[in-house]
Amino acid sequence: MSLKKNTCFCCGRAIAPYEAAVHFPCPQCGDVTIWRCERCRAMGKTYRCLKCDFEGP
Amino acid sequence: MAKKKSKDTESTEEKEKKDDKIDLDFVDDFVEDDFIDLEEELDLLDTEDLDKELELEEKLIDKDEAQKQLYLSCGIHIGTKLLSGDARRFIYRQTNYGLYVIDLTQTDKRLKIVAKFLSKYVEEGSDRIIVSSVRRYGKEPVKKFCEVLGCRAIVNRFIPGSLTNPIIDTYVKDASVVVIIDPHADKVILREAQLARIPVVSLFDTDDTLVGIDLAVPANNRGKKALGLVFWILARQIMLELGKISSEDEFPYTLEEFTSKIIPVYRQEQTPPQQRQQRQQRQRR
Repeated sequence: MSLKKNTCFCCGRAIAPYEAAVHFPCPQCGDVTIWRCERCRAMGKTYRCLKCDFEGP
Repeated sequence: MAKKKSKDTESTEEKEKKDDKIDLDFVDDFVEDDFIDLEEELDLLDTEDLDKELELEEKLIDKDEAQKQLYLSCGIHIGTKLLSGDARRFIYRQTNYGLYVIDLTQTDKRLKIVAKFLSKYVEEGSDRIIVSSVRRYGKEPVKKFCEVLGCRAIVNRFIPGSLTNPIIDTYVKDASVVVIIDPHADKVILREAQLARIPVVSLFDTDDTLVGIDLAVPANNRGKKALGLVFWILARQIMLELGKISSEDEFPYTLEEFTSKIIPVYRQEQTPPQQRQQRQQRQRR
């Protein structure tokens, strides 16, 4: 059995299950699920969609 | 000599006749060609389609111009004298008074993106979208927005634990998105949304930071007209995305319904004795 590891879209780090990370569909295209880890969220780091190059927040 | 002269005259007459014939041929050709060309040209000059396209383009330009004028009249672009590092990419310029001006194109683009994003979560009568406002001018726009789309509005005090503590009566179970107006004023709900792993959409002025925010809309979050306009546009765009209305003109609510009716203190009508007292005080100073 293998666990699927989600990586942060800002820093590329693997997200631990106990972290207060967030995930939501890309606001522009809606196809890609964006993951943000707790630290990047707290620091307000920018993320970028892999498909449409939308840059947020 | 006479014979020579007669020969010369004959030759000239013949030449003239030939020239006339050639000219006539040319004329005939020209006329025939002309007729054909005219018919073709008339077909080509059928500019009804072009006129329609031009009219459409003009309408689009007018719409853009009207939208821009609406934004400017409501002061959605006016920032503050402070500038945070996060807000630097949303800035258009700085005025002579030191105020930073927000880029309107980015505001317009972001409003459409946010509407698209929120339309995925809209369900009438559910608590999936929570809209919160602590600011006085934001209360009425938020109430109206939630009334139109069926979201949950938090206008009064946000009770701590409403997103994290399931024992409380006010606990919201199925919250999917939180929309806030000011990250500074609504910091309690922002912190709780962070802990509860809920994405946060926020209005973003020039002095705010992106801490805990997942999607920001650069706009003036202090003016009552600006707040009303933001929520009016958002409601209209979401309705468009959901397919409840086919065009922007069909939106049944007006901008005035979304703007707050609170009159600022400095604009309230003052009685004459008060004004006299104020004048006297100024003179004493």
